[in-house]
Amino acid sequence: MSSLGTFLLLASFVVSAYAAAASIGGVRRRDWRLVDSGIGAFYLIAALLTVASGVIVHAFVSGNYAIRYVDRYSDTAMPMFYKLTSYWGGLDGSILFWAFLLSVFGAVAVKVNREIHRELIPYVVATISVVQMFFLFLMVLHNNPFETYLLADKVPGDGQGLNPLLQNPYMVIHPPSLYIGFVGMTIPYAFGMAALFTGYLDDSWLRAVRRWTMVSWLFLSFGLTLGMIWAYEELGWGGYWGWDPVENAGLLPWFTATAFLHSVMVQERRGMLRIWNIALVITTFFLTIFGTFMTRSGVVQSVHAFGEDRQLAMMFTGFMVLLLTVSFGMMIYRLPLLRSRHELDSWASKEAAFLANNWILLFSALFVLFATMFPTLSESVMGERLTVGPPFFNKWMLPIGLILLFLTGVGPLLAWRKSTPSNMRYQFQFPLLLAVVTTGGLYAAGLRVWSSGLCFALSAFVIGTILQEFWRGARVRQGSTGTDVLTSMIGLVSRSHRRYGGYIVHLGIVLMFLGFAGEGYKREEQVLLRPGGSATVREFTVTHRSVKVTDDGQKQMVTAHVDIQRDGASIGAMDPAKWFFRKREQEPTTEVAIRRGAWEDLYIVLAAFELQDQSATLHIVVNPLVNWIWVGFGILALGTVIALLPERQFAFAGARAAADAAAGSEVGRA
Amino acid sequence: MSKKATRIGLTSLVLALAFGGLLWTSLSEGTEYYKHVDEVMTDPAPWYGKKLQLHGHVIDGSILRKRDTLDYKFKVENNGSVVEARYTGIVPDTFKDGSEVVIKGKLGPEGFVVEPNGVMAKCPSKYEATNAPSASTAASVPASSGR
Repeated sequence: MSSLGTFLLLASFVVSAYAAAASIGGVRRRDWRLVDSGIGAFYLIAALLTVASGVIVHAFVSGNYAIRYVDRYSDTAMPMFYKLTSYWGGLDGSILFWAFLLSVFGAVAVKVNREIHRELIPYVVATISVVQMFFLFLMVLHNNPFETYLLADKVPGDGQGLNPLLQNPYMVIHPPSLYIGFVGMTIPYAFGMAALFTGYLDDSWLRAVRRWTMVSWLFLSFGLTLGMIWAYEELGWGGYWGWDPVENAGLLPWFTATAFLHSVMVQERRGMLRIWNIALVITTFFLTIFGTFMTRSGVVQSVHAFGEDRQLAMMFTGFMVLLLTVSFGMMIYRLPLLRSRHELDSWASKEAAFLANNWILLFSALFVLFATMFPTLSESVMGERLTVGPPFFNKWMLPIGLILLFLTGVGPLLAWRKSTPSNMRYQFQFPLLLAVVTTGGLYAAGLRVWSSGLCFALSAFVIGTILQEFWRGARVRQGSTGTDVLTSMIGLVSRSHRRYGGYIVHLGIVLMFLGFAGEGYKREEQVLLRPGGSATVREFTVTHRSVKVTDDGQKQMVTAHVDIQRDGASIGAMDPAKWFFRKREQEPTTEVAIRRGAWEDLYIVLAAFELQDQSATLHIVVNPLVNWIWVGFGILALGTVIALLPERQFAFAGARAAADAAAGSEVGRA
Repeated sequence: MSKKATRIGLTSLVLALAFGGLLWTSLSEGTEYYKHVDEVMTDPAPWYGKKLQLHGHVIDGSILRKRDTLDYKFKVENNGSVVEARYTGIVPDTFKDGSEVVIKGKLGPEGFVVEPNGVMAKCPSKYEATNAPSASTAASVPASSGR
């Protein structure tokens, strides 16, 4: 079976090479049959890699522990669900998974756009095939998931088992979601490159990729959020984001993709920022590769790094240099075709707000990149290894985040081209009022953490903006259709998905920021308690009762039983635990006990225990507002889905004029 | 065009300088030296009071805990140099005799004072094999977690 897998990888490599060569050669010679054969080969890669995925999944399910990868990441005792998902549990498999996704996405993108963007397709096929070849090359030469134990020095047993920390439903969907986001960003890049190669640099390539970018962005956001939930619930240190290199790697392309989704509107509406958009697409794709490189090759060292892998680092470096040279080289070559069709009229315009938002997002990406690479950089430049911790990140990202939040509110209020003072007064009145009232209310209530307070005020401002947009749009619509406000609001959303979907996404972002701001009011305590002993954090009193040990065959579970009182009144018991998985007794997993609430979470970790005297070391955290992050993501996802719906699907012919008129301030929706 | 170019040039220069300055000041406060124990302890005096991350191994049998508290005292060694460390709080599960640790904090004449959540530890043995899950997952174990 393993040789079949390796054969499939080799075959895919050859077929990719053919697909790239045939489509380029074909389009050069205007030989469309050759181009078609290239596209056929391109579909074949997807088929081959699907079979290869089938082979590795089969090996996991049937327990073929002679294959090194299967042995390292699964064992016989694992539930079937986790056996299936061990596919992407390690490096080698995740590269295969990456290649598989890329082949499928590529095939779909080519199939969908084959007729509409005929000129671009051969170059799209070639670009994706070359990227594909890189990953196949990595696997065949360096990280073959089908590799077997060659020598008899290791007798295949029943597997070493997946890291228990990863045996968690969030961890099952988190990596593929992130990968879908990462891989999805290759498609816009391929279309961008095709546009550069062919010189068809009108907006048609943008139309082809806008949706792809949005879907990829959604999955990237989903993956990042799942990572946060996992860190919060499974790692048990009381937080959800630690600015770890691996988290940062996922965040980098998220920043640039967000920037792209905004600047694309400026190009559609005003024909500006055309170079910028190409550059963002290239950068986003580059960052997905760079993020993988950063975390997988050991250039960023920490206690959590994966060990140095010079060979892998070299291969990645070579690929990245090639990628940057070709991409930006082509961009510079095509600069004359990318000239902007308009100039910026005024700084009080939507374009300017979008531009500012883009700069800040790009700066965020560069900053996070710089700070993540800082230990490596300082070592190579100064010979002295300096590190920066989460406080450094927070110091910078907190104001940056607040500025972005502010722009989220400002952007929709400004008009395209130029906002007049009277127009601005009309637009800003209500949101500003709401922000001021909120600030006053918070000050009166005695919540005086300035950063969080500012965040709440800005959140109120953004919500004010969104409400106003919906309200005014609905009123105008109501006036012309004669329905009630709610109906006209629904009509409004279904009439222009991108605009109002976008506002709903903004609302989700605001809720997430509320959750982040809650961090400012976090309280925690680390205590060692004997039975009967208690500790108080905020209004919660935690009383330790006992420590018990149970076993379910796969793991041993040590559970502490504690009683909780809130303001003196008993509100029930909680059971934080530690699980010791078989074969992994050295690394017990932390089973956090969380009592969730809209207002705050009570979060208790059993950090250590003593069975003889039944004492327990508890980490007790009160995390305010944290659940709004997850709720916010849900709303963000809803908004993105609405924005993705085909335009004008539910539009009623008679209502069109009304909704067009509804635009108090125009947001790009073309 | 050239007027526009100078304007853009000047703006970006000012912005770049401002950011550079801010970055420089915040970096000089925010950075910590990452050192092995022997690099520091052969001549410790210049390091007193500086923020440090020390890398070494816990000496077998050196971990002491005051009864009924979370006050720890332990010794970390590397290439023959030893530093005594004090810490109050929760230690990671992997922190035990012989494990490889990185401790964050400040050095003083009477020893190394570890800051809260400043103990990070690797298992002596199985770390390599187990800590290679997928790209997105593994290192999500954040630095601040003290794991």
